Amino acid sequence: MRKYMSIAGISIKNSLVYRANVTGRVIFYFVFIFIFFSLWSVIYKGNEIAGYNLTQMVWYICMTELVVFCSGSGIFGSMNHEVKSGSIAYQLIRPWNYIFKKFAEMLGTITFSLSVFTIMAIILGMIFVGPLKDFNPVAIPFIVLSFLLSITMNFFLLMSLGLLAFYFEENSPFYFIYTKLLFVFGMLLPIEFLPVWAQGILRFLPFSLITWAPAKMVVDFSFDHVLKVMPLQAVWCVAAVFLAQFVFSRGIRKVNIHGG
Amino acid sequence: MAAIVLDKLSKTYKVKVREEGLKSALKSLVKPTYKKVEAVSNVSFSVEAGEMLAFIGPNGAGKSTTIKMLTGILHPTTGSANVLDYNPVKDRRKLSYQIGAVFGQKSQLSFHLPPVDSFRLLSNVYEIDKSEYEGRLARLAELLELGEFMNTPVRKLSLGQRIRCEFAASLLHAPKILFLDEPTIGLDVVVKHNIRELITNLNKEENVTVFLTSHDAGDVENLCRRAIVIDHGKVALDMSVKKMKYDYLNKKVISLRLKAPAAIPEMDGVTPIKVTPYAAKFSVDTRIAPMGKILAALDSENIEDITIEEPPMEEIIASIYKGNRKGGKKE
Repeated sequence: MRKYMSIAGISIKNSLVYRANVTGRVIFYFVFIFIFFSLWSVIYKGNEIAGYNLTQMVWYICMTELVVFCSGSGIFGSMNHEVKSGSIAYQLIRPWNYIFKKFAEMLGTITFSLSVFTIMAIILGMIFVGPLKDFNPVAIPFIVLSFLLSITMNFFLLMSLGLLAFYFEENSPFYFIYTKLLFVFGMLLPIEFLPVWAQGILRFLPFSLITWAPAKMVVDFSFDHVLKVMPLQAVWCVAAVFLAQFVFSRGIRKVNIHGG
Repeated sequence: MAAIVLDKLSKTYKVKVREEGLKSALKSLVKPTYKKVEAVSNVSFSVEAGEMLAFIGPNGAGKSTTIKMLTGILHPTTGSANVLDYNPVKDRRKLSYQIGAVFGQKSQLSFHLPPVDSFRLLSNVYEIDKSEYEGRLARLAELLELGEFMNTPVRKLSLGQRIRCEFAASLLHAPKILFLDEPTIGLDVVVKHNIRELITNLNKEENVTVFLTSHDAGDVENLCRRAIVIDHGKVALDMSVKKMKYDYLNKKVISLRLKAPAAIPEMDGVTPIKVTPYAAKFSVDTRIAPMGKILAALDSENIEDITIEEPPMEEIIASIYKGNRKGGKKE
C-alpha cells in the first residue's frame, strides 16, 4: 500500500507542474458550461423538461463535465503511447502491479484537478443559475462516493481501451466511440430525456452510470436513486478493474511486437 | 554460482504480412497472413555471479528481446531462462527486487521533479527501510558524486548529471544483477569514463553481476572480460574480450617517426597507410608478417619514435558482424 501512496504523492507533485495545462482546461470548462447555459436558457421558458428545471439542468451539465474532465487524465493516450512505443516494457521490471500503479498515479493527478474543477463547478453554477433549491447536505457523502465510483470506472474502462493497442494496430476509433457514447448517453442529457425503453437499457450501461448517475444525485437527490444506481456502479467498477487486468495480462505477452 | 542461465531460449514473433496494392490490403483485412520472425533462436549461455558480460550485436539482432525475456517482460516461445534461481516469467515481481536496469535512452526519473523525489518514490516501491534508504543514498551520492543537483528538477540537469542519477535510481535497492542498455550513449568522454569507473567499482565492491549491451566498443573493452556477440537471434561468438581481440586482431598499426628519410619495409602483410619522408604509418597483418620480422627489418638507429597500436574495438566488432553476415561462424 505504501508504494502506491508514494506513487500518488509523486503524481500530485508532478501535476502541480502543469499549471498551464490546468488553466487551459479551466477556460475550456468555463466555455463549455457557458454554451450549455445559453442553449438551455433559450430552450427553457420557465417550465420543466423531463422532470428537470433550468437550474437543475445547468447544475447537471456542470457535474457531468466535472466527471469527464477529471477522470480521463489522459490515460487512454498514455496507455496507447506506452504500448505502441514499447516503453511499457520498462515499467514492468518494477515490483508493482502495473494497472494499480497507473491508478495510483491518476488519483494523485486528479486530487489537484478535482479540487480545482469542483470549485469551478460550484462557482459557475452559482453565477449562472444560483443555488439548487432542494439541496440537502445529507446527500454529500453519497455524491462523493458516487463520483469516486464513476471516476474509477471511467478510468479502468479508458485504460482497457488504451491497452487494446496490444491487439490492434489502431485503437483510437474505440476511444472516439467510447467518448461519444459517454457524451450522448448521460453527459449532454439526462437519460430521462430519452424514450422509456431506452432508459431501461441505458441505466444498466456504464456510460450513463458514469455521468448521469452521480449528476442526478446532485440535482435531484433521492435514496431511491442511490439504491438504483450505486450497486450497479460498484459492479461495473469491479468489472472494469478485472477487464483492465485481463486485457493487460493477456496483452503483455504480445508486448514484443512493438519496439523489440 | 551462475546468476543467469539461458537454456535454448527462443522467441518467435508473428508479424502481419502486408503486401502492396489495394487488392492485397483488402485481402489482408479479411484474412491476414502472418510471417514468423525468429527474434531469438536457441540461445544458451550462462553468466556467473559477479561477472561483467558484454552482450553485443547489430541493431535488431535480438539483444533487447533477450533482455526482456531475462527480466520476465516477455514470455519465451520455447526454452527457459533462470535468473538468480527464479523463473523470470513466473516470479517477475520477486525477481524485480533483485535486479536493476539502466536504459541510456529512457528515463526512469520524473522529468519535472528533482531526482530526490524519484529516489524516495523508488525506496517505497522497493520497500526499503527509511534509515537503510538514507544510508544507501548517501553512499551512492558519494560514489556517483551526486552533490547538489539531486535537488534540481531533472529537466534542468545535464545529460551526464541525469545519467548518474539514473544509476543511483537503479541501484537504491542494491540489485544483484544490473542490466545496462547503452548506458553511455551520448555522453562526453569524461562522463563516459566516470560511468565506467563507477560500474567497475560496483562490481568490485558489491559483486554486482553486470549484463551490458552497448554499441560503444570502449564500454566493452574497458568493462568486460567476456563478450557474447549475437546476430540474427543466434549466438555468433562467445569468448573473452582478450581472445576476441587476439583472434580478430591480427592487424596492428605501426606509426614511425624517422630521423632520416627511409622507406618502410616491403613485405607481404604490410599495407602503408600514410608515408612521408620523416614519418610513416602502416598496418601489419601479424599472421603473415610476424612482428619480430617487421622490427628486424627496421633500422633501429634511424627511429626517433615508434607506436604500435591495436585496432579499435569498433573495427573488431564490425569485422565480426561482417564475417557473420557472409555466412557462418568465423572460427
